[in-house]
Amino acid sequence: MIEVLRAGQCDLAMDQGRPGWGAFGVPAGGAADPFALAAANRLVGNDEAAAGLEIALKGPGLRFPLGGIVALTGARFAATRSGGAAVGWNEPLFLAAGETLNLERAEAGCRCWLAVRGGLALPRLMGSRSTFLPAAFGGYQGRVLRAGDVLASGASPGGMRLLRARPPSSERDMPLRVVAGPQARQFDAAGLLAFFAGNYRVGAASDRRGLRLSGPAVTHARAELPSQGVLPGAVQVPPDGQPIILGWDGPVTGGYPVIAGVIAADMLKLAQLRPGDAVRFSTIDLERARSLAAAGQWEIEERA
Amino acid sequence: MGPYIMEKFRSGQSHIRPAWRWISERGLLVMTGDETLARYEALLTLNRPEVEDIIPADGSLFVVFRRGETISADLRAALAGSVERMSVVTGALHEIAVEYGGAAGPDLPALAEQACMDEATYVNSHAAVEYVVAFLGFQPGFPYLRGLPRALHAPRRASPRLRVAAGSVAIGGAFTGIYSASGPGGWQIIGHAAAVMFDPQRDVPALLMAGDRVRFVPR
Repeated sequence: MIEVLRAGQCDLAMDQGRPGWGAFGVPAGGAADPFALAAANRLVGNDEAAAGLEIALKGPGLRFPLGGIVALTGARFAATRSGGAAVGWNEPLFLAAGETLNLERAEAGCRCWLAVRGGLALPRLMGSRSTFLPAAFGGYQGRVLRAGDVLASGASPGGMRLLRARPPSSERDMPLRVVAGPQARQFDAAGLLAFFAGNYRVGAASDRRGLRLSGPAVTHARAELPSQGVLPGAVQVPPDGQPIILGWDGPVTGGYPVIAGVIAADMLKLAQLRPGDAVRFSTIDLERARSLAAAGQWEIEERA
Repeated sequence: MGPYIMEKFRSGQSHIRPAWRWISERGLLVMTGDETLARYEALLTLNRPEVEDIIPADGSLFVVFRRGETISADLRAALAGSVERMSVVTGALHEIAVEYGGAAGPDLPALAEQACMDEATYVNSHAAVEYVVAFLGFQPGFPYLRGLPRALHAPRRASPRLRVAAGSVAIGGAFTGIYSASGPGGWQIIGHAAAVMFDPQRDVPALLMAGDRVRFVPR
């Protein structure tokens, strides 16, 4: 059981998402870094598909009236727990009854994931316990956590081994790698040059629906086209030329030209970008992008 | 980035059939034109394990592959092959009651004027047609309805409204649609329907599915 003493900036119940509902207008959503949440779940003995919390930029204050075992993965946040013991990342944390966990600001990056032994006991909607904020359903009452919320955890799974998780090697400062998008040919040389040579900033209005970039305008021939299917990582260019990278809760169809698509392996970097961060793009071909599909997998090892 | 690299980026897709375009290595856009719904049905029936999702849209299908998977020879053949257009089962017919105009349809007077009609004629034109759900998008359960009479086509508003009520019946370009949730929106609003377009608790969450038919009934 978790009591929310103080809400963070955007604390959301998430699991591995609800793929397969695109034709209903519902994106797959789920944890922005599904591998990080899966690793946190394994550390507390859960199935990888269990629901946990996705915490962005500034974390919540949580109390565990019955104690429990939790694990944190992803970006490191300034964090304290009652008694002053260190809050480790990538390992199980054993909390006594009544203990609190206080997450402050992210030290670097944007998002971390918290798994609790037993998983968050939430109803499944359309096959998932993930919050989908744009339509206010799923997760905990379809919304961000607030002070006073109480989240139950499920039955504890069987035995538990003492594990440690090792994140995939991080390349946070590398450019985002993209493949050519379906409308790449509509962009003239000046537009492409701006896009690939430009330094962009993540705008303040960015969220799980999309990252709005500001920087050199990407010029193009046509402003709107028939609605087409899109997916997270698609880089749309609206008439003002300022690119938008679609996020995990973005629309399933869009009418702006798509210049490029961020490869699956680099969506994990996207999960850690925060407003004000710099973004650059570089190209990669489809075959190479496919060969990187396993990037993001965590190593889980026994703790000595 | 040199001119050679730039040209290579732009033409990076040219070895694929012209009608196919990748968005990232996990998303393939297939230009299906008038065959969109027939091909959608055919691909659903094929039930390929590498496919995570298929999203019909305006003259195209979007195929999402599971992470680490790519297009199989079977799927490639299915996309390249012809499709039996008659195979699409005619979708269910829904009659949806609409309160046109007034506070429920603030853009109706201006749209009627642009179309050189009085409001009653405009409403009758909108309600006289049997529409087909081309696809759902924008919001969960938001139907893009094909069949809007040409005289009723109207561009989106120059500046979108910050809040459009769920149930708003609206016009955007050549489509008419029904807002399934409250939120910002740029389509021109002509009326309101009480029908619940989307409910994640239902077994089938969306009221309308691609291929279904819709008739509006003025109240």
